[in-house]
Amino acid sequence: MKIKDEKYAMTFRIIAYTVTLFATVLCLFPFLLIISASFTPNEVIIREGFHLIPSKFSLEGYKMVFRFPETVLRAYWVTGVTTVVGTALGLFFITMAGYVLQRKDFKYRNYFSFFIYFTTLFGGGLVPWYILMTRYLNLMDTYTVLIFPGLMTPFLIILMKNFIRSAVPEEVFESAKIDGANDFKIYYRIVLQLSMPGIATVGLFLALAYWNDWFLSSLFINDQNMYQLQFYLYNIINSIQFISQMGAGTGISLGTDLPTESTKMAMAIIVTGPILFLYPFVQRYFVKGLTIGAVKG
Amino acid sequence: MRNKAKWLGTVMAGVMLSSALAGCSGSGNTKTEGAGNAGKSGNAPATDAAAETTKGLDTSKKVELQFYMLGDAPKDLAVIQEEVNKLAEADLNATVKFNYTSWTDWDQKYKLLLSSGQPIDLIFTADWTQYQAYAKSGAFLPLDELLPAAAPELQKYVPTDMWDAVKINDKIYTVPATYKEYVNNGFVYREDLREKYNLPVPKDIATFEAYLDGIKANEPEMQPLSINSDVKTNLMDVFREISDDTVGGPLPYGVGIKYGKPGEVYSYWGSDEQKKDLETIKRWAGKGFFPKNVLNVKDTLQAPVISGKTAAMLGDNPSRYNDTLIKMQASHPDWKLGYTSFAETRGFATPVHPIHNGFAVPRSSKNPERALAFYEKMVTDKRYNQLTQYGIEGKNYEVADGYYKMIGDSTSNGFAREGMNGWAWRNPEFMLFDKGYDGVKAIFDELDKIAKPDIFTGFAEDYSAYQSERAALEQVEKQYFYPLYAGLIDNIDEGVETAMSKAKQAGLEKVQAAYKEQWEAYVAEKGIK
Amino acid sequence: MTPRRGLLRELSANRIMFLMLLPVVVFFIINAYIPMVGIYYAFTKFDFNRSLFNSEFVGMENFKFLWNSGILAKLTVNTLGYNAAFILFGNVLAIFCAILLSEIRLKWFKKLTQSIMFLPYFISFVILSVVVYNLFNYDSGFLNTMLKAFHMNPVDVYNTPWVWVPLIIIFYLWKNLGYSMVIYLAAITGISEEYYEASKIDGANIFHRVWYITVPMLKNTFVVLLLFALGSIMKGQFDLFYQLIGNNGVLYNVTDILDTYVYRSLKVTFDIGLATSAGLYQSLFGFILVMTVNTIIRKINDEYALF
Repeated sequence: MKIKDEKYAMTFRIIAYTVTLFATVLCLFPFLLIISASFTPNEVIIREGFHLIPSKFSLEGYKMVFRFPETVLRAYWVTGVTTVVGTALGLFFITMAGYVLQRKDFKYRNYFSFFIYFTTLFGGGLVPWYILMTRYLNLMDTYTVLIFPGLMTPFLIILMKNFIRSAVPEEVFESAKIDGANDFKIYYRIVLQLSMPGIATVGLFLALAYWNDWFLSSLFINDQNMYQLQFYLYNIINSIQFISQMGAGTGISLGTDLPTESTKMAMAIIVTGPILFLYPFVQRYFVKGLTIGAVKG
Repeated sequence: MRNKAKWLGTVMAGVMLSSALAGCSGSGNTKTEGAGNAGKSGNAPATDAAAETTKGLDTSKKVELQFYMLGDAPKDLAVIQEEVNKLAEADLNATVKFNYTSWTDWDQKYKLLLSSGQPIDLIFTADWTQYQAYAKSGAFLPLDELLPAAAPELQKYVPTDMWDAVKINDKIYTVPATYKEYVNNGFVYREDLREKYNLPVPKDIATFEAYLDGIKANEPEMQPLSINSDVKTNLMDVFREISDDTVGGPLPYGVGIKYGKPGEVYSYWGSDEQKKDLETIKRWAGKGFFPKNVLNVKDTLQAPVISGKTAAMLGDNPSRYNDTLIKMQASHPDWKLGYTSFAETRGFATPVHPIHNGFAVPRSSKNPERALAFYEKMVTDKRYNQLTQYGIEGKNYEVADGYYKMIGDSTSNGFAREGMNGWAWRNPEFMLFDKGYDGVKAIFDELDKIAKPDIFTGFAEDYSAYQSERAALEQVEKQYFYPLYAGLIDNIDEGVETAMSKAKQAGLEKVQAAYKEQWEAYVAEKGIK
Repeated sequence: MTPRRGLLRELSANRIMFLMLLPVVVFFIINAYIPMVGIYYAFTKFDFNRSLFNSEFVGMENFKFLWNSGILAKLTVNTLGYNAAFILFGNVLAIFCAILLSEIRLKWFKKLTQSIMFLPYFISFVILSVVVYNLFNYDSGFLNTMLKAFHMNPVDVYNTPWVWVPLIIIFYLWKNLGYSMVIYLAAITGISEEYYEASKIDGANIFHRVWYITVPMLKNTFVVLLLFALGSIMKGQFDLFYQLIGNNGVLYNVTDILDTYVYRSLKVTFDIGLATSAGLYQSLFGFILVMTVNTIIRKINDEYALF
């Protein structure tokens, strides 16, 4: 009996390691190409394409990105601030909403859920939203406009609601209520403590969305000192695309320093880097058994 | 159920609130229109009181102008803006904010800026930003009445025929640039390789093909021709320019008009002429002049030439050719790049149409008069002009022997030549050129001798009646004609036939007929023969 | 009891909970409900000189560009098909990998692989398209260089439409695996250890435990992901298609989706009405689908329904 169980566990583990290793290699491969390209001189990339190991080594791409270091650092700062503030605020609102929406004794929870969900189905399109943001709320060139639209998504709220529902047993609410705790206190003292994996997940997604966002910068930011990092990257790439599509008849030439292939790749690495360092800190919440520990502790 | 009704009520309240907001926007619009009218009617008293204000411009209230340009702002924009504002505050009691759209989704943003009614005082226009269509549908303010009062100098400075040329429905909607340049194409090829292998100088399609053949035979590692996925703009349109005497371009929906016979509109799609062109492209593809998967190539045309991967471009304009040459020689001084303008073969070149570069005052402008007065300064006042074109003298550039010279290089200088993309407010009298630009000037001088007017760009197509067909045809061209343009289809006759039947289903005949009608009316009106 | 009274009583009894919901409600009113007036653009002729509600009402005129395209059916089928595949394979793969990963005990291995699987999420499709071109292009692509080295015939991937159906699905999975896996991983983490202990005593082996405990416990999460995916089943993944396929009309029959079509055909048109009408079509489609599915789910198990 015991031996058989061991055998099954062994088989399972072999499958687990093989599959994850395989998936890892697949995910890593293109990334290595990009890293390698970022260290290859532009001319070599254009002539020979990508290689896993640069056939000629050069820091040209990175030098180009850091031509004006303060610009890149500035972009890091803006992205950092929006990510941290947005994630913190967003998490606060989302966890509160998630908590209320899963309370069985909250009568209108389904209507509110629908109210939230409905916005994923219908939208008025870009123009009215843009008009509202720029003309009525006057949010052009503000940090608010970089943070506000990303604070929450219906998906994250509903996800949070489900995480809380599965992490916090119904009895906990009842006993807390009997102890005389009000609804906010229950949320603050108990729910937040118990649903850490969920909060970590939602927080990670929020942070990623802020970190990866370029669209808000593109629409609402004219002041170059407020460009976000991803927009900086996108803009480099898009300038090239623009030039490749503009026929000679337009007479457009962009002067001396068109960004190059290696610059694009260097920029991609620079943008991704910090998240990779941060990710392991979030990860500890995904280790099994932690929830139990939290309850006991 | 009852609760559902209540929920609906909430939504309705939201809708009503926002329609109230939208109502505001409506009155906002009428207000600006009113201001325009006020400018009109206030015109007479203003001239009466000319002694008092000298210009008929009321500058008593301080305003901030919103200036919108495409592309990326130069790094030192803030410094320049501050300098400009010092001048503008003294002259016009106005400050200006220079806004840049960046190239990311610029076309979407351009649309958004104009259709959202956001207050903008000056915005760039060009044929390729659809000036004609926007002007026709009322996105800009007509300037005819405003100019005499707000910018009399500018009105005098720009020649009357240019003002006439930018008119849409008999109204001026943009201030055209007066700098005369050519953006006609010419063959770009590696002169050093041509000499080395004793190949013919490309002059027309046949000699160009012979040159490419020679490259293929002698430099098997090289890709003879530089092409990317935009095979319409970068291959077919250029090909037709040299081979089919097109009136100008890009011509939409497979319409064909010849410069020599502007009164005749025919369908290029499906014609024998097109089939002949496509045969040539297919032959090129077969010979391996460009990669088989060209429809997925996203490089610029120039970069592979600069790096020595490819040996020619079918066509580029003189300025861009010159840029490519300079960049190429920076890393490969021993390589040479040759250029043959199509004009040598076609017998004429067309200087850019006044619509090509300009600035308009959008409908949403809150200060149209002041905006024009400021723009007048940008064009006609040397201080404004050179500051916004070249930066600060002594810091960003210096003038040596009458040439522009950048101080430092692009890695240290925050304002390159024409760093603000000031194509539209170039003033030939104040222009400074880099020494490297002499080559272009020489080409322009040659073209000047054989210049003929651009008779195409002045045409403003009104496609509101066939918008949906137009959208469908866009799809047909990409799906059925692009593979032909890329030389991917072996049987041209069959391929064209399929594409034509799809195009006809999408409403080609209706669209072409409407285009023809409008074009003929335009030709008749302008007296083009 | 009139409903008003009921609401008031609810409000006073649960005012803290209402307050806690307030930010979310305000957010969605500003960010989503107010801009929804713009849906009206779909029924008007856009005019620079008039505000939205003063514009000429044209009824269904703007929708004509969709019907008249003659390919609406094909676009709808393509969009639905790809999204269905994304939902199905995406979730199965994410669940599969999450379960495997959750059972791995080697901590550093687990952390490292998980991080790496997240990497593709950061690679924008623009850059991916460059990498893909380098892998598959006919003349000098990685794949063909390999094939030639083994004296095999090169393949022309970019002119072979059917190949792109699996390819696009694979790239989607590749990019999003790390993301959706985290959701399931968190859900697995939330499953109480006691269930497993009990099953161990009952003599269940690891395969049984996964199949009878873990998988059913993930149903809830799956339903949420499903309903959200269904709501936008006519939209989305624009960049994936637009960047990988681009101008390559040869592949459009099997790779064109509604978003790419609308984008391309309206790129040069500034009529807001046309774009809005396309968006409305997508929304209505998703709406009907979701309402149906949610009702069915509610019938089966009220707990799982979204609203």
